[in-house]
Amino acid sequence: MTEAFAHPAGSIAVAKPGGATRWQGKLLHIHVAPSASYEMEELQEAECIAGRGIVGDRYFEGTGTYSPKPDVREVTLIEQEALDALSRNDPPLQDGPITLEPRDHRRNLTVIGVPLNHLVGRRFRVGDVILRGGRLNFPCKYLEELLGLPVFLPLYNRSGLNCGIERGGIIRPGDVIELLDQ
Amino acid sequence: MTARLIMKLRVEKMRLTTPDVLHLQLVHPLRPVLPEWSPGAHVDLRMPDGRVRQYSLCGDPDDRSRYEIAVKREAGGRGGSIWVHENLREGSEVHISTPRNNLPLSDKGKHYVLIAGGIGITPFLSMARMLKRQDKDFTLHYCARSAEQAPLLAELQDVCGKNLQCWFSADRRRFDPAAVGPYDENTHVYICGPQRLLDAVQSALSAWPEEQVHGEVFQMTVDENFKPEPFEATVASTGQRLLVPADKSLLDVLRANDFPLPSSCEMGVCGSCECGYRDGIVLHRDKVLPTSKRQDRLMLCVSRARVSVTLDL
Repeated sequence: MTEAFAHPAGSIAVAKPGGATRWQGKLLHIHVAPSASYEMEELQEAECIAGRGIVGDRYFEGTGTYSPKPDVREVTLIEQEALDALSRNDPPLQDGPITLEPRDHRRNLTVIGVPLNHLVGRRFRVGDVILRGGRLNFPCKYLEELLGLPVFLPLYNRSGLNCGIERGGIIRPGDVIELLDQ
Repeated sequence: MTARLIMKLRVEKMRLTTPDVLHLQLVHPLRPVLPEWSPGAHVDLRMPDGRVRQYSLCGDPDDRSRYEIAVKREAGGRGGSIWVHENLREGSEVHISTPRNNLPLSDKGKHYVLIAGGIGITPFLSMARMLKRQDKDFTLHYCARSAEQAPLLAELQDVCGKNLQCWFSADRRRFDPAAVGPYDENTHVYICGPQRLLDAVQSALSAWPEEQVHGEVFQMTVDENFKPEPFEATVASTGQRLLVPADKSLLDVLRANDFPLPSSCEMGVCGSCECGYRDGIVLHRDKVLPTSKRQDRLMLCVSRARVSVTLDL
């Protein structure tokens, strides 16, 4: 293996099976908050309502903060891999490693093995629920202020995916995540 | 502008420290460690109907397992303290923001004079703890009706010892601002309590530099002679121009135009909606921004402008 592939990002990615289409991911955590700025609460089971959001969440209740851009924000997802990169300080855009716990990043679903940047406009399933990828989430200064951590730059281009719910249902941590059509 | 996370905390212990002041100890049901804070900091308490009230933290900043606040029942107030007294019990859950400090202790002083009136004592208990730990010279003047009606008196006596001077009107001892003594460049004075106490001390110390006299109020700016005029606000990043009518605040108008902005007290005392501005003559009207920051910062909830202002948004 060349030195370049020994870099943490390359060596970790190469050990994971799948690719842009043949991947299979997993739901790790579900979090909701009743309103903008409220601390996220972890759920062991969540009800997703088509066209609305996760029951009890601010985007379901209409009490979240909204981007003025065209957006669908019924459910938001982020990759565990992005959080791992932050804790490795990879790339070193800030003073040092940042530990961002699943309750901190304010996306609803923390997932692993799911290439979110490939899912804009695509349908995929989380357990029995079907989501459609909307706009790629963009890091915001509001999150930096809320956390008191410089997460804006390191989350650039890996801040998650805003989704709509096409088919509702119950989701739980451990649910399989798969692409539905290509 | 700073956003603050709102946590759901549990009332672990609750007791009356005087007949009308509740002392509450709050813990996180899941996390053993709460966000850090420094003496002088306050938290926002959010009531179910959306009202927000600020309370100074009066515990030990080194004990991150709990927050402590003391709430005086104000029969003639706006209803927040009555809600706390009537609804919170041990085991209740309450929404509390992470702390913010509008009254930080200066590290430049050699001697500190703290002057509290009644429930205004709350930020000074943690300040006194820190000053004692740092082995700094301080005097705490505590004005109240009587020992029975002086919140947190036992804790203060324990922390301050001979540095505590009580002025109880029932004993015919009334605080005289002359007790602060002559001007000293190494002395910092902190005042917290009713407006008349602040006014009396600030007027007695009017010759002192502003940086050495620090005050905090939890009351609205009252200026009956102020007549709001409409003005125009320009958003620097987009060039958007918004008319702020006389009966609406900048905060209201920005929110109506899809700017999701944090706020809390909405009366110019908490500092949640601080925002930068580039040009314009601003009529500040808040009680939280120091003069040194008024050239380029304003509070969106109460500040207005003459003719126009350009906001750093």
